[in-house]
Amino acid sequence: MADLVSYVIRKLILAIPVILLATLIVFLMLYMTGDPINVLAPPHASVEQMDALREKYGLDEPFYVQYGVFLWNLVHGDLGVSVGAATRDLEVGDLVVQRLPRTLELMAIGLSLSYSIGIPLGIFSALRHNSLGDRSVMVFTLLAYAMPSFWLGILFMWLFAVYLGVLPLGGTTGGFASIILPAMTLGIGNAALTTRMMRSSMLEVIRQDYITQLRSRGLPEREIIYKHAVKNAILPVITVIGLDIGWFVAGSVVVETVFSWPGIGMLITTSISNSDFPVVRGCILVLALFVIAGNLIADVLYAYVDPRVRLG
Amino acid sequence: MMRLRKGLNDRLLTWKMAGGVRQTIADILERGGRNVMVVLGFIIIMFMILIALLAPVLPMADPTELTDELLLPPSSDHWFGTDENGRDVFSRVVWGARVSLLVATLAVLVSMVIGIVLGLTAGYFGGKVDYIITGTIDLFWTFPPFLLALAFAAALGAGLFNVVLAISISYWAGFARLMRGQALSMRERQFVEASRALGAKHWRIMFTHVLPNCIAPLIVWASIGVADAITIESSLSFLGVGTKPPTPSWGWMLQSGMLHLSSAPWISTFPGVTMVFTILGFNLLGDGLRDVLDPRMKGLRR
Repeated sequence: MADLVSYVIRKLILAIPVILLATLIVFLMLYMTGDPINVLAPPHASVEQMDALREKYGLDEPFYVQYGVFLWNLVHGDLGVSVGAATRDLEVGDLVVQRLPRTLELMAIGLSLSYSIGIPLGIFSALRHNSLGDRSVMVFTLLAYAMPSFWLGILFMWLFAVYLGVLPLGGTTGGFASIILPAMTLGIGNAALTTRMMRSSMLEVIRQDYITQLRSRGLPEREIIYKHAVKNAILPVITVIGLDIGWFVAGSVVVETVFSWPGIGMLITTSISNSDFPVVRGCILVLALFVIAGNLIADVLYAYVDPRVRLG
Repeated sequence: MMRLRKGLNDRLLTWKMAGGVRQTIADILERGGRNVMVVLGFIIIMFMILIALLAPVLPMADPTELTDELLLPPSSDHWFGTDENGRDVFSRVVWGARVSLLVATLAVLVSMVIGIVLGLTAGYFGGKVDYIITGTIDLFWTFPPFLLALAFAAALGAGLFNVVLAISISYWAGFARLMRGQALSMRERQFVEASRALGAKHWRIMFTHVLPNCIAPLIVWASIGVADAITIESSLSFLGVGTKPPTPSWGWMLQSGMLHLSSAPWISTFPGVTMVFTILGFNLLGDGLRDVLDPRMKGLRR
């Protein structure tokens, strides 16, 4: 256990430069958008007014000072203030925190959906290797993977909300029914990947000697598959759950926009169209932290399952 | 199909290339041609490229011309109907293919060049150089390309070359990792050592001995990369930070068609189906070639 703890600590230290890169990228991002004074200042502002605003927001400082101030504020939980018309001077941190539960909710349901589709489908496919069923599943995964999430979302919307009229079109007013379509859209692409991983992992396991040995001992096939094979085959699939967070983070931006789901992703899109870049920066930074955390989880899970990793 | 493959083979044999490359490509064609996925993917890609190249000479309406024929359903005049501005959807889908393929190919080429140069340098020289470059690669590798591309595209603003740039900056790490791994395993090989003993310069060894031996995995990655880049480009356009309207773009067409989903579903449907078809083609080719060439590469994609 001690080696696992030291492994986690080592990984945490290694995450620091990654977090710094994330902050640098989002900082550069805002820096590249040009002089924010054009958004901040009222039309026909005088030069003095503009200078005053520049000083207020620290825009008269050189690049590295601005980045330093940004980092310093960040460490103190200050992500800056919004410059959008509707949310002028509101704390970016507050705006993000407000939206955070929605995104987490969507990601959690999408993630559970993708696993509850992907794992059974992968097992099914592996057990009927090369059958018609297996081939159909493979075609499904190919299609699901090739489908950009916004297009899948639009199709779902058309089918379930417009044509069948059984689920709400978007927003959050429909209660739990509202989250079904966005979560499904978000989950299916990952379900395809999970299916493939589960299938190949299962195929590998059921060809191993110990499975043959169990068979020769006359154990019922059900028991062999579900008690022994699945248990081993599922491990590599579960350990990458942390990496899936990256997929979901990226997907949530698009899916939330399609379904007007008021999470961080949609905040990014609306803020981009309002040229409210401090908010975009805050949101992307928070999503990046999610990804980093997800990678950490993946590393730790992997090390937990496979001791060779943490000792190596 | 057989004839097509043979024809291609003959053409390739006349290229003046290092024996390794010629052989690898001949080998890829030989084995790939027997794989259903590869052949299907190749046909789809060729079809889309042909259509994209022929867009200016095909007898079609102007994709950006506004007319009074608003929201017309598909007919013999307008195969895919018209959109809310009276533009011909078929012509926009075809021109959209041109934009998508151009952006995706350029983005993959640029990230491939960055990846090859950095990955080769890191793997070939090792030591401190490797340490620094690999650190950078891993940093970029951590983040999903779409998230990075979104950040850069939002900062750079809409526009064709901005999108290419945004995708390239976000996507190169995969190529670099691949090249580094290949270079590491290659540099201890005897023919590399022999070449060094004969006094060949480093860059010469890197580009004439190490690189040609990495052609096969590079082709696999490039094919999957183009599929990913098309997805990223269309998603960015959908969010309004991709190519600038009125440039026809699939993502943007889907976005504007969303408003007319119940009354004029053809505005979104046709670009959507074409997009999936194209992405599927590149995925099929990439996945198929990967299975054929190197089963060990399975799972590398994650």
